[in-house]
Amino acid sequence: MSHTLHRCGKHDDLKNDFVVFCMSAKTVNAKGSGPKMRKFFEILKKYPAVNFGDVKTGSRFNSDWQTIHDGYKDQSVAHYVFSDAEVVGQILKELKEADLGLSVIVSGVFEKVGELCRQAGLPMHTVEYSGGVMGRTERLPKGPVLAITTMCGHGLVSTNLVKKMATQVKKGKKSLPEAAAELAKPCMCGVFNAQRAERLLMELN
Amino acid sequence: MRIDKELCVHCGECIAICPVNAIRLQKKDKATGAKAHAEIDRDECVECAACFRSKICPENAIQEEKLAWPRILRKAFSDPVYTHEGTDIPGRGTEEMKTNDVTGRFKDGFIGIGLEFGRPGIGTRFREAEKAIKKLIPLGVHLEPNNPLTQLISNPHTGELKPEILNEKVLSTIVEAIIPVGKFQEVMAVVREIADEVDTVFSFDVIGKVAPDGSIPAAQEMQKAGLTPSFNGKVNVGLGRPSFPF
Repeated sequence: MSHTLHRCGKHDDLKNDFVVFCMSAKTVNAKGSGPKMRKFFEILKKYPAVNFGDVKTGSRFNSDWQTIHDGYKDQSVAHYVFSDAEVVGQILKELKEADLGLSVIVSGVFEKVGELCRQAGLPMHTVEYSGGVMGRTERLPKGPVLAITTMCGHGLVSTNLVKKMATQVKKGKKSLPEAAAELAKPCMCGVFNAQRAERLLMELN
Repeated sequence: MRIDKELCVHCGECIAICPVNAIRLQKKDKATGAKAHAEIDRDECVECAACFRSKICPENAIQEEKLAWPRILRKAFSDPVYTHEGTDIPGRGTEEMKTNDVTGRFKDGFIGIGLEFGRPGIGTRFREAEKAIKKLIPLGVHLEPNNPLTQLISNPHTGELKPEILNEKVLSTIVEAIIPVGKFQEVMAVVREIADEVDTVFSFDVIGKVAPDGSIPAAQEMQKAGLTPSFNGKVNVGLGRPSFPF
């Protein structure tokens, strides 16, 4: 379930790609955590987000904030995507104040996330690295296509859909935001960064 | 998943949605008179339901089916909306490091590893993951008991999976384990052997608790093994309330 790991791309392209999410531990603090999850979702609402969601109720691109908020249960995972490091820093400080007691995870460039944690007075607890892709890697799509598809860690954004959207942009049938929004729809958790997808689609055209 | 041939208007809009390229257009069959339609290759379909949820079909011809064992595993491992009965969480893995500040699952002196078969975007049969399990078990590797794949092992001594599931195809499935830091190099050598033998891809995860002095032994072990730790990844920021001192 490492759905926000393995986001492929160049450092410059990923340096403004942050996923902030909150989760309870099933055997420890899940019972009664639904309201805390909703509180987390409310705290982050005031910051400018690229995407948000929960796998059971959908994302900004295939559902709406209120439906997602009201659907949070004890076992839910609440996600937000941001493109501004300063915003993530403010969020960490606010979440520390809120002291919800639930686990908070930030996906992003380690160097930057580490700096934001230090500024918020939060020592990093545990990290997860990608050790890369192994095996029959010759079957993988290249460059920007892979960078787009790996933004949905569950693998629901297909290579063919990326190519189709790139073609539609090229032909003027869709604008970049429209094409990026189409690519974000299959990702149910709301961790797909549509702003980044726009930039990557431009590289494909 | 299935497409109702009578409702399908052969527009082809659904084809690009499929993550494993399992939807194909069939021409009109002049011999039988069967109309042109889109069809799902059931052997390749991983039951992720991306086509169904997309609502892309103008005629609602894409339909979900009631799935029986072992085909239901395709959905369980490919459709993140589906909650595993074994783990009670959506998706194909576990809470792993995400709740480590609360659970203490990964302690100082240990490293978590994950081999995510089929990821990114290729898919896998369970038999490919079985190859890895069979090679890791003799090393004394402790497989994560709460992982839904571990729960499909029929012989814990050899790592054999239930035979009837081996050909089932899923978007991804994770071989998940916790090993002592001192065992990482030995395990990595075997992971490389696995990479040479499998007929799919796997994404490799490495999890480590940050030591009290701020160092990350997991990253040091990766470098020692010739692996470059990724510059991006996941950080548990330690806001969860620990369930016990660790």
